[in-house]
Amino acid sequence: MIQASNLRKSFGEVHAVNGVSFGAPDGVVTGLLGPNGAGKTTSLRMVYGLMKPDAGTISIDGCDVIADPLGGQKRIGVLPDLSGLYPRLTSREHIRYFGELQGVPALELEKRMNQLIEALDLKSIADRRVGGFSHGERTKVALARALVHNPQNIILDEPTNGLDVMSTRAVREMIRRLKAENRCVVFSSHVMQEVSALCDRIVVIARGEVVAEGTAEELKELTGKATLEDAFVALVGPQGELA
Amino acid sequence: MNFAAIKTIARKELIDSSRDRRAIYSLIFSVLVGPILIGFMLNQIASQERAAHEIKVPLVGAEYAPILVNWLRQQPGVEVVEGPADPEASVRDRKSDFVVVVEKDFAEKFRDSRPAPVQLYADSTRQNARAKVRRIRGLLSRFSGEIAGMRLIARGVSPSLANSLKVEDVEVSNAQQRAATVFNIIPMFLILAAFSGAMQIATDTTAGERERGSLEPLLLNPVPRWQVVAGKWLAATIAALLGMLMTLVITAKVLSKLPLEDLGVRYHLGQTEIILLLLTVAPVAMMAPAIQIYLACFAKSFKEAQSYMAFLVFGVTIPGVLSTFYPITNRPWMHPIPIIGQYAASMDILGGKMPSVVGVVLAAAASLALVGLFLWLATKLLSSEKIIFGR
Repeated sequence: MIQASNLRKSFGEVHAVNGVSFGAPDGVVTGLLGPNGAGKTTSLRMVYGLMKPDAGTISIDGCDVIADPLGGQKRIGVLPDLSGLYPRLTSREHIRYFGELQGVPALELEKRMNQLIEALDLKSIADRRVGGFSHGERTKVALARALVHNPQNIILDEPTNGLDVMSTRAVREMIRRLKAENRCVVFSSHVMQEVSALCDRIVVIARGEVVAEGTAEELKELTGKATLEDAFVALVGPQGELA
Repeated sequence: MNFAAIKTIARKELIDSSRDRRAIYSLIFSVLVGPILIGFMLNQIASQERAAHEIKVPLVGAEYAPILVNWLRQQPGVEVVEGPADPEASVRDRKSDFVVVVEKDFAEKFRDSRPAPVQLYADSTRQNARAKVRRIRGLLSRFSGEIAGMRLIARGVSPSLANSLKVEDVEVSNAQQRAATVFNIIPMFLILAAFSGAMQIATDTTAGERERGSLEPLLLNPVPRWQVVAGKWLAATIAALLGMLMTLVITAKVLSKLPLEDLGVRYHLGQTEIILLLLTVAPVAMMAPAIQIYLACFAKSFKEAQSYMAFLVFGVTIPGVLSTFYPITNRPWMHPIPIIGQYAASMDILGGKMPSVVGVVLAAAASLALVGLFLWLATKLLSSEKIIFGR
């Protein structure tokens, strides 16, 4: 379970995040929806402990991330905005590297690795160097290494951005499976179909603030619109259309 | 505390770069270039020396001076050959290094105990003929001296009366000095090997990591930031040590193939020296990657980082280049200065002297202090949001 309250972050004069609060319970897929530049990525970076908020608190399964970022990082698996891989290492070596850094015991690591290779359909490319991989294949490897330590909480920053249909399906399937395992999944997106297809709860962020929160139905009701897209536009305002 | 992450990161970086063909080639190239250059230069000097010891004497008019020709033939390493028809043109056109011409009246004047005319054609601007000209000139004046001595004895006069001076040659041989200068650059190549050996890993694992966008995922693992830096540094240090070891072994191999005795060189590079040198210079192999990693953290791309590295290498070569003009002698103030301290101690080792233990320890301590400083600075940088996310 992830609980973020009143997060603030400024870069010089720019208030990127201006009091964002949201909760993401276990067994639920929580979507952060917002136009580009709304503050989604910055909020998530604070949650996974690589950025220090100017104000606010974050707790992951009761661990105070600001006081103990490494403690938070043990409890989450993250597919960040930039998921660069090492072109000269194989898929398996990527997963093993992160597993070892997470402190997963060797025997368990091998088992876990094979599970992930199976689940993400990486078998045919498991021992190939990732140098020549397609975008979809690379995302799946990045996802596998993010999940290698079997984290209770998972953060995915725009996971399906630019993926082809087959890879998108694999990622969606993985998200559903994680939900079925009663894990806490947070993912950000600016793609409406993505959010409505997967999310149980939606947090709409615009201009560094949370403008609405609830299920897709609740958001439509709140704005009196028939579709989620119209509801989103109504909530975000004209800036959303520009984005 | 658990240090497993340092080992994991170091191993991954070593595997990763061992698959980088460009990195391997550049390591091999940089390790070979020093020893080959040293070998080439020493060989050049040695062959010039050898050439002076074994000379062909092109002689015109041998029939007029059989006594001189016979005497020359008896000298070790001298071969008398028929001289060219036009001695002056032959020397000018560099067909001969020099030509000796015996004139027609040689026999007559020689018989009368008058100075017998011999001409020596040579081009004094020709560097590589100088040693040979010096040799033949020496031979001719020795012949002259010997004959003069015999003539005096025949007249009942002691030859020592004719010599008011007794000049003794104390050879501070030119060749030996030049060879020593060549040896002076061995420590420079050794120190350069540390920098070039570590460079690839130091840049690829920092600036390269930023460029690929793989830094953020890496830092998402629950590993203290200093251990991430330490792991990368350990990998680069191993590469630097490997570069040094290869440079030393190859240099030793090259030197063993050269006739250094001909040069009268008192330098020696055997197993003991290699071990001593490695121990002395190892702190540089630890310091180089620490500085490189720190600098490369500022760079947003591999290319940018490499230009920083070039500046660094330039700075490192300065003491080496200076030492060829102002030979470095080991002075106490040098000890605590990293690189220069190791440089001075290495010269002692190569010269067959035991370097001062205090000096080596001081140099090592100063270098290790810099390792600590730069790793700490690099850890600071890798904790900064500007570096992690700035692109």
